Amino acid sequence: MKIIEIKNLHKIYNGSSVSVHAVNGIDMSIEEGEFTAIVGPSGSGKTTLLNIIGGLDDATEGSVEIEGVKINELSSRKLTDFRMKNIGFVFQAYNLIPVLTAKENVEFIMHLQGSKKADRDARTSELLKAVGLGEMMDRRPSKLSGGQQQRVAVARALASKPKFVLADEPTANLDSHSTENLLDIMEQLNKEEKITFIFSTHDQRVVNKARRVITIEDGKIISDIRK
Amino acid sequence: MTPNRRTFKPYPMKTNIKLAWRNLWRNKRRTIIAISSIVFSVLLASWMRSMQEGSYDSMIDNSVKFYTGYLQVQDTAYWDERTLDNSFKVDAELQNQIKNIKDVSLVSNRLESFSLAADHMKSKPAMVMGIEPEAEDQITNLSKKMLSGEFIKSGDKEVVISGGLAKYLELEVGDTLVMISQGYHGISASALFPIKGIIKHPNAEFNKRLVYMDIETAREFYSAYGLSTSLVVMTDDHYSVNHIKKEIEQILPEKNTVMTWTEMTPELVQIIQSDRGGGIIMLGILYLVIAFGMFSVVIMMVKERQREFGVTHAVGMQKRKLASLVFIETLFIGFIGCAVGLIISYFFCLYFFYNPIPLTGDMAKATEIYGMEPYMFVSMKASLFYNQIIVVFLISLFIAIFPITNVSRLKITKAMRS
Repeated sequence: MKIIEIKNLHKIYNGSSVSVHAVNGIDMSIEEGEFTAIVGPSGSGKTTLLNIIGGLDDATEGSVEIEGVKINELSSRKLTDFRMKNIGFVFQAYNLIPVLTAKENVEFIMHLQGSKKADRDARTSELLKAVGLGEMMDRRPSKLSGGQQQRVAVARALASKPKFVLADEPTANLDSHSTENLLDIMEQLNKEEKITFIFSTHDQRVVNKARRVITIEDGKIISDIRK
Repeated sequence: MTPNRRTFKPYPMKTNIKLAWRNLWRNKRRTIIAISSIVFSVLLASWMRSMQEGSYDSMIDNSVKFYTGYLQVQDTAYWDERTLDNSFKVDAELQNQIKNIKDVSLVSNRLESFSLAADHMKSKPAMVMGIEPEAEDQITNLSKKMLSGEFIKSGDKEVVISGGLAKYLELEVGDTLVMISQGYHGISASALFPIKGIIKHPNAEFNKRLVYMDIETAREFYSAYGLSTSLVVMTDDHYSVNHIKKEIEQILPEKNTVMTWTEMTPELVQIIQSDRGGGIIMLGILYLVIAFGMFSVVIMMVKERQREFGVTHAVGMQKRKLASLVFIETLFIGFIGCAVGLIISYFFCLYFFYNPIPLTGDMAKATEIYGMEPYMFVSMKASLFYNQIIVVFLISLFIAIFPITNVSRLKITKAMRS
């Protein structure tokens, strides 16, 4: 079943002297449960594409439909609400809230959703255990390694039970051990929980794990391989 | 992990408050500096206003205590033409009714006139104050200001004269003062009065020419039997003067009127008002400094967290909730600064309330000339303190507009690149 449908997507950045066509007429779809890597050189448009899919940036032309909802037609408020309920984000620089503990960071979105405390506690505990941080729930990000922080970020992304997770270069700041560890966790969540993952990455190890690899260059898809 | 269906409820404010509180202490040093600047500003503003109002209180107190009282009941014609002919007979029932009015602490008769005071060589115009000695002493504590001899008592036929007059006439306790004047309805008045005491009057002008005598002795001297020129009404709380006036007006006969100290000494009110205006301009400048200090901290708080705001909004926090978070942080800084400032200011001013700063040199002399004690007094009026709190809090509310505007214009991708 398709959960994301992208049609004729364009994104043009107009600078003072030059315009950049970051996404140039992309058509693609993502099926539920896919483990997809979007690869390409720097500046090829991977992050821009992910940002538009996640409703973080506007498209200049074209549409992104998520389970039948055209997100580029939603108001800012409804789009924010839509992101909270449907999309999980993992960022390159972890971007955890520094004043909250690992547990509180994971709980944060559930707080936004108004979940009950008992539900929050159970879900947070379950997720942090799943990413191997059951013993470090009360640590703040500054007391965690980069790999551990990224694992908290993955748990946070899953807290709201999203339809899919967008991960922008999630392993870029991690050592090889942490990368392997993180990829194993995400792969396991994908297989067991049927959570759809879409990565943008340069990392060959991520590419190796992915079951679908979309290559982008100059804002266009040049290959789309399913393994 | 099976997906559950949730009922979405409003995002709890408690979470925002917790987050705001923790955010405040992310950069402890900066928060402490911001709070300290507010504390010192509140302290400075309270101290400045407290000293200003303290000096006014002292001026009012001196003028009121030693001359007008807070209110005076008079004959309707007396204030325009202050002669014994415009004195009136005080009804004992009326005096009792006034005494029973809420906040009235004392009611005392006065018979006030002039006389030529002389010894065997010199003479000088003097102001004669016929008083109820015990009541007047409760108001003024004059008996504590004796240079020599004793203060008069009810029924005494002796007089107390001011130090300046005694010096001019070269009189001492036990000497006789000659007084020649015009009494009620033009009757001539002359008598010899033994001097019971010499007083140092706090008002330099009065110290040169004042004679105190028991009111009955004065009535006899001026042939103004049973008459008073005024009925002085005192209160412990000078903010209740207006309500006392209203209540007295309701029970006064037509031939009498009641005046407050502000009506009797308009020049003093004007001096206070013009000085207060200057103080408020200074205070405005101080508030401006506070505002800029707080604003710079809030700008730093907002600008250094653009990325975090971007991420928080990306994962689903609505902009208005994000704005309320930063708004609460700004309010926290304002509130903590105000609360700590209030506590420190209160105890700081309280110390000087009980230990007024003595003035020395020319400053002391100038103060004494105006009839005031040479001390820098402070006022502990509650409004002086809470007004500063209200203003600083309003400033922090105003400054909070900046982060709200900043968040409302937030672009996620731009913020996350910052």
